[in-house]
Amino acid sequence: MRAHGLVNDVPGAGPADHLCWVYEDDAAFDEAAREFLAGGLARGERLLCVGQRMIDSLRSVTDDVDTLIAAGVVETLTLADAYEASGPFVPEQQLAYYDAATRRATDDGYRGLRVLAEVSDLAADPVQRADLVRWEHMADGFAARGSGFSAMCAYRADLGSEALADVTAVHPLVHAPGDASSFRIFVDGHRIVLAGSVDTNSCDRLARVLAAARPHDGRVVLDVAGLEFMDVSGCRVLARWAADLEARSVALEVTGSSALLRRMWQVLDLARLAPVTFSGVSS
Amino acid sequence: MTASVTVPVDRFEHEALFYRGDADFLAGLLPFIRDGLEHDEAVVVAEPRPRLEMLRDALGSDAGEVEFLDMAEIGANPGRIIGVWAAALDRHTSAGRRLRGVGEPAFPGRRTAELVECRLHELLLNHAFDGGPGWRLLCPYDQEHLPRAVTQAALHTHPVRSTSTTRLPSDAYAAGGHVAAFAEGLPEPADAVLRGVYGARDISATRHTVAQWARSCGLPEERVEVLELAASELATNSVRHGGGSGTLAMWLDRGAAVVQFSDSGTFTDPLTGRLSPPLDSEGGRGLYLVNQLCDLVQVRSSDQGTTVRVLTWF
Repeated sequence: MRAHGLVNDVPGAGPADHLCWVYEDDAAFDEAAREFLAGGLARGERLLCVGQRMIDSLRSVTDDVDTLIAAGVVETLTLADAYEASGPFVPEQQLAYYDAATRRATDDGYRGLRVLAEVSDLAADPVQRADLVRWEHMADGFAARGSGFSAMCAYRADLGSEALADVTAVHPLVHAPGDASSFRIFVDGHRIVLAGSVDTNSCDRLARVLAAARPHDGRVVLDVAGLEFMDVSGCRVLARWAADLEARSVALEVTGSSALLRRMWQVLDLARLAPVTFSGVSS
Repeated sequence: MTASVTVPVDRFEHEALFYRGDADFLAGLLPFIRDGLEHDEAVVVAEPRPRLEMLRDALGSDAGEVEFLDMAEIGANPGRIIGVWAAALDRHTSAGRRLRGVGEPAFPGRRTAELVECRLHELLLNHAFDGGPGWRLLCPYDQEHLPRAVTQAALHTHPVRSTSTTRLPSDAYAAGGHVAAFAEGLPEPADAVLRGVYGARDISATRHTVAQWARSCGLPEERVEVLELAASELATNSVRHGGGSGTLAMWLDRGAAVVQFSDSGTFTDPLTGRLSPPLDSEGGRGLYLVNQLCDLVQVRSSDQGTTVRVLTWF
């Protein structure tokens, strides 16, 4: 499984990195960005910096940014170029853009495309944030499927707890000095992994993220082996999601569930809402 | 048995059967069960072992027509029993059959706190089923082995009292007795109590505190997880319906780890958490789940506030 959880430092660069970096302090963030970008250069990836803030960070990695840009190793986009120029923020258009950019990088002989993006401004707007969260989950799946795409998504710590919980929920790896989502949802192979804790304070957020999940071959496999806690409200979100999937003829398989989760399912008679197959019980 | 027994009643008839010894037990129950079968009623018997086997053997070939439930299992926490009867009533009534039940929740050997809950359960049965479809429920009470206070209380909780030879209205019974019983305070803890206050932002901290304490008491991990879940649900209820905050208390009592949640809310329906909530309803599930998963749950509510006490046996 992909590495997941809360991190203090930037993990060693690997394929399919998708790191959420919440920062309070510019200097500490510059160091993290440098670490992340240097790892990509060492792996032979093309770097794409989104946002002026990121382009500035890049200058601290190497004195020779202009040479790297001229050579095509580094590409830069301002936030306006990346998002706003194409009209309203549409996750599907984002995916098409990064899909093409990643292919171009691999066609040009790079090992992949490593994106460093500062997207706080999108997260600050509640309407755009919903699309941003959906996009983050799509991007995570794109990275997880071995496309060569990896990303560090940076957010300012002063965005507020709601916005930070929304965006941290959709990354496998999260660095957050303060508020972060109590759960993480990410893609691993053809499975969707739900890890951490879900209760009444986070179940609505889980429902929003699950709505963005995309089936594979007419079914969704949700791996909950890393789920530490889930209350009744969380179970109901899963059951309602299963019902929505069923309405689209998509089957839901839940793997790695605890004995307690299955017992809750039975006691609450949630099978009546939608059929869910449980497999691979964890202890 | 008197002739009145064979005339189907069109209301809920809740009857205490006082017995002394095995022969008397069978003499009281066999005619009641056979009478039900003769009238093509659906007969459901919830008895503890070994009385369950004793009845099954004594019924001989009739036993196949009777549904047997282990009361020590379905009624381990008496807060679960009404849900079982409600489901049976619903199932058989919609299939066009009358229900006839035997239920012995207050059987000898039960702990004091369980017997206290059995009394409240017996009172709530009247509240739950009076005014609904007619059916009969006979509750055996072991006069030889139960504390006298328990058999005496059965006179107050059942409108009809009987023995293997008599059947009379119980003069001590008064309708609506559940109101006072549901508002009654619970016994104060004798030992040292750990207390804490929780609000909307403390639900996860509350469940962690409870889980940690339960672990430190030496409860097995499976029970710790159940208590963690119960803590989350009950703290959530306080935040949602109990004035936004509550008090957590934890202590050790004779053979039990006790976790209690109190808040300033008032239950509008004393059956909350005892009946399986409809799929489309939002509330009531947390307490229902707690009742199903925990060893013993004691709920009390009045305009003074609500207390939910959860006991886990060692």
